[in-house]
Amino acid sequence: MHIDKFERYWIVAASLMLGAFFAALIASTIVFGVHLPDPAGRINPADAEDWTNQGFATPGLRDMGDNHYEAHIVAQMWLYNTGDVVDGVPTVRVPQGAVVTFNVASKDVTHGFYIEYHNVNIMVIPGQISRATVTFNRPGTYRIICHEYCGNGHHNMNAQVIVEPSA
Amino acid sequence: MQAAQTRDIPVLEFPKLTALKTERWLVGVHLIVAFSALSLGLLMGPFQAFRRAPALQWDIPIFSYYYQALTLHGVLNALVFTTFFIVGFSYFVTQRTLQRPLASIRVAWAAFVIMLVGLVLAAFAIVTGQANVLYTFYPPMVAHPTFYLGLTLVIVASWMAGGDIFFTYAAWKRDHKGETVPLAVYATLTNFIMWITATVGVAVEVLFLMLPLSLGLVQTTDPQVARIMFWFFGHPLVYFWLLPAYTAWYTMMPKQNGVRLFSDGLGRVAFLMIMLFSIPIGVHHLFTDPGVSEVAKLFHALLTFVVALPSLLTAFNIAATLEWAGRKRGATGLIGWVFKQQWGNPVMAGMITGMLIFIVGGLTGIMNASFTLNLALHNTTWVPGHFHTTLAGGVFLTYMGIFYWLMPFLSGRKLFAPRLATAQVYLWFIGMLTFGLAMGRAGIEGAPRRTDAGAAAYISEAAVPWLNLTAVAGVILLISSILLYIVILGTLFASKKQEKADAEPPIDTKAPADDPSPSIFENWRIWMVVIVISNLVMWGPVLIQALDFTKGFIIFGFHPNAPIPLK
Repeated sequence: MHIDKFERYWIVAASLMLGAFFAALIASTIVFGVHLPDPAGRINPADAEDWTNQGFATPGLRDMGDNHYEAHIVAQMWLYNTGDVVDGVPTVRVPQGAVVTFNVASKDVTHGFYIEYHNVNIMVIPGQISRATVTFNRPGTYRIICHEYCGNGHHNMNAQVIVEPSA
Repeated sequence: MQAAQTRDIPVLEFPKLTALKTERWLVGVHLIVAFSALSLGLLMGPFQAFRRAPALQWDIPIFSYYYQALTLHGVLNALVFTTFFIVGFSYFVTQRTLQRPLASIRVAWAAFVIMLVGLVLAAFAIVTGQANVLYTFYPPMVAHPTFYLGLTLVIVASWMAGGDIFFTYAAWKRDHKGETVPLAVYATLTNFIMWITATVGVAVEVLFLMLPLSLGLVQTTDPQVARIMFWFFGHPLVYFWLLPAYTAWYTMMPKQNGVRLFSDGLGRVAFLMIMLFSIPIGVHHLFTDPGVSEVAKLFHALLTFVVALPSLLTAFNIAATLEWAGRKRGATGLIGWVFKQQWGNPVMAGMITGMLIFIVGGLTGIMNASFTLNLALHNTTWVPGHFHTTLAGGVFLTYMGIFYWLMPFLSGRKLFAPRLATAQVYLWFIGMLTFGLAMGRAGIEGAPRRTDAGAAAYISEAAVPWLNLTAVAGVILLISSILLYIVILGTLFASKKQEKADAEPPIDTKAPADDPSPSIFENWRIWMVVIVISNLVMWGPVLIQALDFTKGFIIFGFHPNAPIPLK
């Protein structure tokens, strides 16, 4: 099988390019600490005791001190329950600079959990707990969007994060 | 006696300029069903864009419910049109290249009938609004049983088709010991080996998880496990669409240009690599799933980068072949060959615009597969933006390039209004590039995919102009679609009958003798072992981690219209 000289160069160049891309991805995780979701435990939405014990019977934000927060959010057809509502929109209110760990569980079908302009993008699959941690550095209002089709009212399913400026 | 019988298989003479009756009908009906299904699926496309554009927010005609139209669009275009087209095209390529009839024409017809019944069953569920679950049908959302039954039948029939093609090849091999199979059939074989392996995942999902749940035989399921099985199948699915297009670029485009392929051997390497590496990478569709470990995601991301290599090989090989063609027509200088292509011929225009738009599709695909970068893109409109430049771009345009010689050849009629056909191709190219750009940008601004944005309360201001631009693309694509069907109907009913086609099908019946490929390329046993082991290693741990061995399946089913578990 004959391989042309220029084709050989091309194969080497293409491999180097893909290698460089992959190295950049490794760096994004190791150097910059951006992570993809990792298993965070299971939950049975039909089991009230399990649901309560894992904190989803009382959704909301808990202050863990040192600017760290933990949020429990329930995703269901077709709304989020964040434990707080502002102007009719389910809301998570945090101060600027807050490091928030979101724990999201679905009561029914598969949902999505996506926060605009932040590295939070996770599927909410019934039976699994979805966990993502993010720092809110800029004040403002950011939408939380269900980005997986979850039935008739899917397009109404949204919430918001309000990041309040630190005086 | 037995031996004598096998040798007595009638060797068909394949006339160069006319189609045999068996080709005409068998391949012809596959194309007719494919383009009938496509006509409805295609129509839903632009209307979804009009529905989602904040400036219009029109209701979708016929199927006013957005998610029903979306399910129809996905199932008819991506599953039905593609499968029928690919099976018909693969029969044609196999018979013509090997110059012999299929191992069993009866099996081929039986497969067609089963596939058609499957299509009718699935279409019934969708059209009657009982399967608004989109074409990925993620549980625990449940559709009508006929939806799953129909999909199962389409898959089973495609196995029969693949088996028929493989037996045809085996018979050819017996008669041609030691010969290298021509590249077009090599490609077809890799495609069906990959397809049959991959569809095992979705077949198990549908038969053992979805169908029993939908029939009420069981009440619970596991959505994470089902997603893993679906995406075991889902990524090779996109290569199943792509490989026939690659087949046309590698084996037909050179002949249509009067040159030979730059490198037959590296063409084989590309098809072989895609067969081996298209399955153990599917977790890149599950990057944001909570039940799959980050380590597995990293390994699948790595192999995804490996499977980008055969497409980069293809880029060189095909561009080099086109350069030869251009220089043969008298092109000079560094890029003179670009201008010496058959830009005005609908067949070549379809293929070359397909190649060009596939560059965009390939690059955006690498971005999707880029591990952490996926956090910015997953399930935004970026993703449909990407796969409309691959499937609806590179693949579909190449299929058009094929169709514009195959349809006249099979029907024995001249292509109706070739200029209209050329216009159809360029309008599609421009429309789909615009659509890809607009969807991509809207996605980066946070517009979610698979969402009835026309009714949503939360579309980001920054995404609005881009969503409006998708409607502009929709107009262009709608015009192109109308032209396509004018050309089809014109060719079949208003065009001149001709005894003989203008050109013979661009099929090579022999592999190049002067540059033989290593025989290991055709050693399917070795490759099957590699496929089984690599997938056990790459998918086994993912599946085991997702299975709940203590509680089993605990999640109840739901209809998409009510938050009440189906107990």
